[in-house]
Amino acid sequence: MEQLKEYFNISLRNIRTRALRSWLTILGIVIGVFLIISLLSLSEGLKSTINQQLQSLGGEMVMVMPGGDDDIMSAMMFGGSNLQKEDIEAIKKTDGVEQVLSMSYTGTVARYKNEAKNTAICGYDPWKEGLELLSFFQGWSLSGGRWPSKSNEILIGSQLATDIFSKKLTPGSEMVIKGKKFIVAGILNSLGNKQDDSMVYMDMEIYQNITGEKPGTAMYAMAKLIEGADENVVAEDIEKSLKETRKRRSGTDEDDFSVITSEKMGEIANTILGVIQFVIIAFASVAIVVGGIGIMNTMFTSVKERTKEIGIMKAIGATNSAVLQIFLFESGILGFIGGIGGTLLGSALAKGIELYGQVHPLFYFSASITPGLIAFGLLFSFGVGCLAGFFPARTAAKLKPVEALRRFE
Amino acid sequence: MPEPIIKLEDVWKTYQLGKTEVNALRGLSLEITPGAFVAIMGSSGSGKSTLLNMIGCLDFPTKGKVYLKGKDIEKMPESQLAQFRGKILGFVFQEFNLLPNLNAQQNVMLPMIFQKVALAERKERAERILEMVGLKDRILHQPSELSGGERQRVALARAFANDPEVIIADEPTGNLDSKTGKMIMETLTDFHKKQGKTMVVVTHDSKIAEYAEQIINIEDGQITKNHGTAKEYLWNN
Repeated sequence: MEQLKEYFNISLRNIRTRALRSWLTILGIVIGVFLIISLLSLSEGLKSTINQQLQSLGGEMVMVMPGGDDDIMSAMMFGGSNLQKEDIEAIKKTDGVEQVLSMSYTGTVARYKNEAKNTAICGYDPWKEGLELLSFFQGWSLSGGRWPSKSNEILIGSQLATDIFSKKLTPGSEMVIKGKKFIVAGILNSLGNKQDDSMVYMDMEIYQNITGEKPGTAMYAMAKLIEGADENVVAEDIEKSLKETRKRRSGTDEDDFSVITSEKMGEIANTILGVIQFVIIAFASVAIVVGGIGIMNTMFTSVKERTKEIGIMKAIGATNSAVLQIFLFESGILGFIGGIGGTLLGSALAKGIELYGQVHPLFYFSASITPGLIAFGLLFSFGVGCLAGFFPARTAAKLKPVEALRRFE
Repeated sequence: MPEPIIKLEDVWKTYQLGKTEVNALRGLSLEITPGAFVAIMGSSGSGKSTLLNMIGCLDFPTKGKVYLKGKDIEKMPESQLAQFRGKILGFVFQEFNLLPNLNAQQNVMLPMIFQKVALAERKERAERILEMVGLKDRILHQPSELSGGERQRVALARAFANDPEVIIADEPTGNLDSKTGKMIMETLTDFHKKQGKTMVVVTHDSKIAEYAEQIINIEDGQITKNHGTAKEYLWNN
């Protein structure tokens, strides 16, 4: 142990002697570890944020959306054919369903104080009970004003109130949408994403009135289940009854809708994130391998340069293992310092993005910097350093003293 | 007759230089007894440096045996041989061979690290030896801040560090002016006389050989003359 400390000190001194090159080598590792730590902590944070949001959706909800089961992503993004009145009725009648909240949205131009902006409007049916459901299960709450009570009253998202128009909207402000005058009754607290926070929410009846959507239809439906009902069973039943209504109507039982439980949504999200994380790790690994090659290169150069020094050390009594340890320490230290730098920078970036997300409602998520991740970063870089240094160190250790001494600088 | 501390038995050393084989040592046998002061003389290319590498256990013979304190060095495990080199032998090189990033004291302490000498003792011993070679006020200087003679004295101190039985010096004065060279040789002789240490010095300078008690002439990898005393050598030449 005492001996290891001595060799460690010798290694440190060697690193200090070649300060510039050591720092450049360390920089290679810093970049690699920086990428790994920042990307991993951000993607972990993203994962937990999405899971949180899914949980806030509640375990007792089943979503029905247009588009086939195998094509959920494009259905979510582009929409499909609307659910018809009898579809929604069929969902309502399914065993285990307590209440159905149907919803549609579209992009349109909204005017406020002679300013026109593109915005999205969204209708809910039923409106009043729907708001109760949303505040209970999705955590809707007001930052100002009151819940709407009249048909010309609307709710607006937190970002729409502050960021979209040059003048702030407040409860009581008047907006004109599709030629109809609306009063802002209340402003919602942030719902967790930019899209939801810049919407206008209104009664489905008014929505369909101004957009011309066929009354009674809807883009999506959310079914709230009776307490204790098994969401998977209910989801299957909904699917079955929807198929029947469609068969009656069009004569085919082609599925052009999907029934999704919150559990399934979580699975989809986790699959996508899994792929993202895999790609991130793959990219970061390339960076760390490049850093490792940098260490190896530095160490090989160092062995070449110090061949004579190694010969001298051997002539005055250094064993092969002493030389091996000195060189391994050197590369390990380079890796470890790189790891510290990379971990610090990576955590700082992740934290910075998190802070930015907190002041800016544009995106909201927390970076996940766990002690495990930090330990991983440090050990990993030390390991890469030792591994990269192993071959150069072995080359150094195996040098014959007489040959090493014969070489002149 | 005491047991020789270093013994070479029919030692051959062959180097491969491109396609030709060069026999640097050709069946050379030699015994160095404890307490001897041996000078090895020869022109360049005579094989004297190769011989010194054999005596210093820095190289293995192609054929033949080298014994260090009665032990065949080829049969010794590497770690033990390294220990022996550090403990029994002390090297002084023509070009000093100090580690440039260590100061004088650290250079002297280095061989003691490999012999697992505790830090406090290392420091104390290094200071004492450096004082002995007259570098008391140069202890913390880097080699680049020292003159050639001072550097060689640091190298002497390093060779003395583990209190070795044999000092092996390869042209120790080769890079020094005659006055400084004389000082170095006197230090070596002093060490030999006062402490009875064995000295093996390779040189081509007959003035240096004057300090020795035994002179070995080497030519074409073979010993041509082995004189008992320096005086005898001078007489014969």
